[in-house]
Amino acid sequence: MTPACYLQTTDLCRHYERGHRVVKALDNVTISIARGEFVGIVGSSGSGKTTLLNLLAGLDTPTSGVVDLDGVPLSSMSRRQLAAYRAAKVGMVFQSFNLIAHYTALQNVETAFYFTGTQPVERRRLAAEMLERLGLADRATHRPSDLSGGEQQRVAVARAIVKKPELLFADEPTGNLDLENAGQIASLLTMLHGEGLTIIMVTHNLELAGQRTQRIIRMQYGRLDRGDHSDARADARPDAREGAIP
Amino acid sequence: MTGRDLFVISTGNLLRMKLRTFLTTSGVLIAIAAFVAMLSFAAGNQKYVEEEYLRFGLFTTIQVSPRGGSEGADSSRGPRLDRAALDRLAAIPGVNLVYPYEAFTVRVKLGDTVLASKAQALPATALRTRFFATLTSGRPFGSDSSRQILVSDELMKKAGRPDSVLGLRAVVSVRVSTPDSGLAHVLMNRGESIIDRLRRIRTDSLGNRGYRSRTIRSEIHAAMQRFMEGFLQAQETLTDTLTVCGVYHVNRSGRLRTEEMVIPLVTAARFNNAGMSGSPSEMMASLSSGSPFGESRDASGKTFSLVTISFDPGVLSTTIRDSVEALGFRAFSFAAQFEQIQRFFLAFDMAIGVIGLIALVTASLGIVNTMVMSITERRKEIGVLRALGANDLDIRALFIVESGAIGLLGTSLGIFCGWALTRIVSMVARGYMKGQGLPEIELFALPVWLILIALGIGIGVSVLAGIYPAGRAARVDPVEALRNE
Ligand SMILES: Nc1ncnc2c1ncn2[C@@H]1O[C@H](COP(=O)(O)OP(=O)(O)O)[C@@H](O)[C@H]1O
Ligand SMILES: [Mg+2]
Repeated sequence: MTPACYLQTTDLCRHYERGHRVVKALDNVTISIARGEFVGIVGSSGSGKTTLLNLLAGLDTPTSGVVDLDGVPLSSMSRRQLAAYRAAKVGMVFQSFNLIAHYTALQNVETAFYFTGTQPVERRRLAAEMLERLGLADRATHRPSDLSGGEQQRVAVARAIVKKPELLFADEPTGNLDLENAGQIASLLTMLHGEGLTIIMVTHNLELAGQRTQRIIRMQYGRLDRGDHSDARADARPDAREGAIP
Repeated sequence: MTGRDLFVISTGNLLRMKLRTFLTTSGVLIAIAAFVAMLSFAAGNQKYVEEEYLRFGLFTTIQVSPRGGSEGADSSRGPRLDRAALDRLAAIPGVNLVYPYEAFTVRVKLGDTVLASKAQALPATALRTRFFATLTSGRPFGSDSSRQILVSDELMKKAGRPDSVLGLRAVVSVRVSTPDSGLAHVLMNRGESIIDRLRRIRTDSLGNRGYRSRTIRSEIHAAMQRFMEGFLQAQETLTDTLTVCGVYHVNRSGRLRTEEMVIPLVTAARFNNAGMSGSPSEMMASLSSGSPFGESRDASGKTFSLVTISFDPGVLSTTIRDSVEALGFRAFSFAAQFEQIQRFFLAFDMAIGVIGLIALVTASLGIVNTMVMSITERRKEIGVLRALGANDLDIRALFIVESGAIGLLGTSLGIFCGWALTRIVSMVARGYMKGQGLPEIELFALPVWLILIALGIGIGVSVLAGIYPAGRAARVDPVEALRNE
């Protein structure tokens, strides 16, 4: 394990038993992600991308294999420690936004601070600032149902990054958006990456992945698709980070 | 997650689900309102009893009666409760005052009205005990031989003078029968003297045995009849004019019974010791006690059926009671009676508590149902909070605080509604009492302990009702909850 290795999986498996059949949502996946990397995960629907993100975030428990965070296996942590890990270090963006319907945009962003011990006044200030930064200042008091898809996704991103996590897991953050909105979100992620955030982004959009990420991991049927040359491509584009900053 | 967050989130949820919150809260509200109203009734009565005991100084009062007396199941007859016994009772350490209960039937003329009533003789010192110290107006008489009288408010009402009675003349008269009046009738009856009767006896026939015995029997019978007739009809009337110095509220309850008039002890002695009272029932009572004349004439030999002892508050009532019983008398301790009443109220409270708890448990099933439904609806929210870093405790707390908030709301409103209910019932009851001319008694009380117990039980049961849903919420799988449908 190299010092640069921040997040690592070893022979990670997540199997579901469905009657006499076993669904191998994730099968023997070994990857390592360095601190500050922007990694894209691509693969067809059902290839295990979401399952992988959930395992990395400690929301799901692997059937076998290990997830190491800075050399510490997540399996050695208690449920309480895993929750603290997510509270302190992880931001998550979901494909379907998953905003709380009866909260305003501002309140939704504020929920990120429920478990960080931030003072209420400070929370509100940071949340409002973040909405402003994402161009949603005038949408702060709107509920999700009053926002467009792109706006909702930006609120979701704001919620994920407002507490300044070390890791961002973004599951198809542009999947439900039109080109313009998708471009906005992608630019945002690139900018955050520029600020030092480690991003693992699942996407269908190969073009987006190719443009913005430093490295692409391909998945198929729950396994890594070794037929690609993602590492080589990342090496070939050492300027990816600089070039991405808007 | 801070307590404030939990509170904001749960109240937000309760406000959002108005109808459901209303229905769930109503269950708790009704149970608590019923619980509070019922216990408030018990507490009100308890308070009333305690206040009465305090008002009359009953915690420092013991009543003494002779053993084997009228209420005696005791086969052994105890010592006589006479003047000498009063002195012995007064000598018990801690005893402040000893006075007998002496009542007699009188006619009283108040202003223009003549009424038949009952009077009671008391020493002036007895008026200083709290037992009698509750004059509604005026002041107690100065000494045992004052020519004054205390009258009850009821008597004044009967006399048609509900107010301004102080200083009024009260002409008190007692009709007494004496053996003298009886004997007088034996000698002289309806204008016929005993000499006339004796003259009618045929002396020559007295040699006949049958005639002799018949005559003797009939004459003795006639003499007896004339004696009784004279005793009953030819009564003396003793009259005294006294001044009304104060008015008190009459008490008719059991052992605390007071009569309609109170006359100073020595002033009353004239009526009391003059002879047998004219009232047939009192006459029968003194006849059956075996001392119709002799004892009542002689002050030192008089016996009492009831003597009241007032003692130092620093002395235990049980100590006094034991001393009285050691003297051979029956002792009735109000303090002991109060303890029994307290025990009764405790049992009553507990019975109501159990009923209230059953109602509350039923209401809590409503809370469980509401919260379990809420989990299903808020799965996504739970998943999001998990992803944001909520641990098991945070998720549990969310649901427990919410059911606790339902409990707090329901209990607070329940206490208020229970209280409001008692106010309404109290108003109706007071109106009824007033209409019936009864003293208006407050039937309900809402002491702080009752509010605290209601809050404790109401919120406690609601929080318990939240435990199961909270456990289920903590087991919601965030991966499932966040999966995009
Ligand atoms: N709870 C589950 N039970 C059975 N199969 C599951 C379950 N969750 C996921 N899967 C299966 O695991 C595979 C991977 O799912 P997922 O990680 O969501 O794919 P992706 O995000 O790449 O579309 C899919 O075939 C899915 O049907
Ligand atoms: Mg997916």
